[in-house]
Amino acid sequence: MKAPEDLASREQAARELLARYVRVVDDPDRIEEWPELFAEEAEYRVVTRENLEAGLPVSVVCDDSKDRIRDRVTVIREFWGAGGRLEDRHYNQVRPRHVVGPVWTEPQDDGTVRVVANFAVWGTLAADPAPRLLAVGEYRDLVTFTDRGPRFRSKWVVLDTGVLQDVFVYPL
Amino acid sequence: MASVLPRTPEGPPLALRWPPEDNRIPREIFTDPDLFRWEMDAVFTGPVWVLVGHEAEVPQPGDYKTLSVGAVPVIVARGADGEVRVLVNACAHRGARLVEGPRGNVLKGGFRCIYHMWTYAPDGSLLGVSLPDDFPSDFRKEDYGLPRARVAVYKGLVFASFHEDTPPLEEYLAELTEGLDRVLGDGRLRYLGSIKVIFRTNWKLYVENIYDGYHVTALHTGFQVVRLRSHGGQRLVPNYERNGHLWGQSRSTPREELQPVLRDMTLFDVRTKPTTDHNMMVVFPSGVVTDYFDTIQLRYVIPLAVDQTLIEFTFFARADDPEEVVRHRVRQGPAVLGPAGAITLEDAAALERVQLSSVARGDNVVLKGTPKRFPPYRHVDEAPIRHFYQAYRRLLGVPTEEGTR
Repeated sequence: MKAPEDLASREQAARELLARYVRVVDDPDRIEEWPELFAEEAEYRVVTRENLEAGLPVSVVCDDSKDRIRDRVTVIREFWGAGGRLEDRHYNQVRPRHVVGPVWTEPQDDGTVRVVANFAVWGTLAADPAPRLLAVGEYRDLVTFTDRGPRFRSKWVVLDTGVLQDVFVYPL
Repeated sequence: MASVLPRTPEGPPLALRWPPEDNRIPREIFTDPDLFRWEMDAVFTGPVWVLVGHEAEVPQPGDYKTLSVGAVPVIVARGADGEVRVLVNACAHRGARLVEGPRGNVLKGGFRCIYHMWTYAPDGSLLGVSLPDDFPSDFRKEDYGLPRARVAVYKGLVFASFHEDTPPLEEYLAELTEGLDRVLGDGRLRYLGSIKVIFRTNWKLYVENIYDGYHVTALHTGFQVVRLRSHGGQRLVPNYERNGHLWGQSRSTPREELQPVLRDMTLFDVRTKPTTDHNMMVVFPSGVVTDYFDTIQLRYVIPLAVDQTLIEFTFFARADDPEEVVRHRVRQGPAVLGPAGAITLEDAAALERVQLSSVARGDNVVLKGTPKRFPPYRHVDEAPIRHFYQAYRRLLGVPTEEGTR
């Protein structure tokens, strides 16, 4: 699929990709679908505004290739898997909930679409009855159009707070 | 005991229940808010050197960063004279916090308090106050500098002490300097950034976890998945009679022999060292220094509340690293040893669960390696935890009895 000719359809497709992203990352059973939302050349970065504005290169997450994006699923499923016994996967007993605010889209001359949106991510854990605010910030995404439809070429998760309120298991 | 800061009255404020055996740790010490307040004085402003940074984090005159020494908010600042100092982050007048942000530069302008516009130089001396007419006639600016901690530097590591009786830094570090030398080399580093995260656990549980070699293969499943094993090593407790630092040494499986379960196995590369030796050190009570794989990392452990601890993971390259090596370190560091890292996330989950059930009272027990009374221990032992608590209890004034297990 090439980029739709008219800008409105392109922007609509980019918005739908973001909505699909939220459906996938909020569902621990669907995390295997997460890498397929990215193009073959893609990056997924979680950075603090603090490091970004200071020009410091360290990211919280630096998945700078599709391989590393796919590896994140392996890490979630196998590494954080408590010996591989499904019933022991305590760290994964979190139900994330993304709340994504106004979505701003900007079609680019090269056919991609820049997407900016506010987000907050809550996590509800088996270990704690009170939902936790895991992260607040802004998505800065670039959506490209591949043969298989719109995909993220890059997704930057920029965190407002320099202090993460908790560790997070699933992608933000 | 003399102190740079005013102290609360001497003596443990509460009757602590300590089992006679030194391998039993009463769970109350993780939940008692009175003890927490006492620790902030007796441990963090006691006769210890607290790791507060590396000189590379404040490379230029006027550069500063903020953190806390226990409960005391401090500014680590490099003066116009090039010297690094540790200043209390509170105006000497009415106590308003001087700087809010994590870091910056105040070479021009100094630290200015928003409340009454008192202004301090980067070295903490008071430069000026607003409208000083009608002040008492004996008011002198020299009397109102910011309180300073004692500062000592080893290989660029900046340590602060609020206590007059703290021994000289090298005496305090003792044989741990040998491990620090291996990680820090000539001490010239380049700061790459930090990641701060709140662990929902008491600060002591975070620190003792690093003394524990037993949990490593059990909890960090990633090691098993890639068949990354420790090929020998040991857990030393330098200066255990006094301070009880930790120096864990291990040598891991080379990357080519790992199970290639990840598409990108560069996570486990060791490119900058001749061997796959790793060092993991705790400078008692709260500084962590490590060189796992190619990652040079310091951690500052900052207690926020009895059940909340802020961990700042800071990442470094060597000053002379080619850009390609810097990029490798930037990619690897947080992916392995950051809060979203492949083999560290589990600690947060495990420690939170220990914290949650500490209200159940009773004792936590340390067993593996404890038939041996003194270091060195094996790298898989948890016995070094005892020495952390021995050092901790000496500071609290409730030392362990000799000859107990």
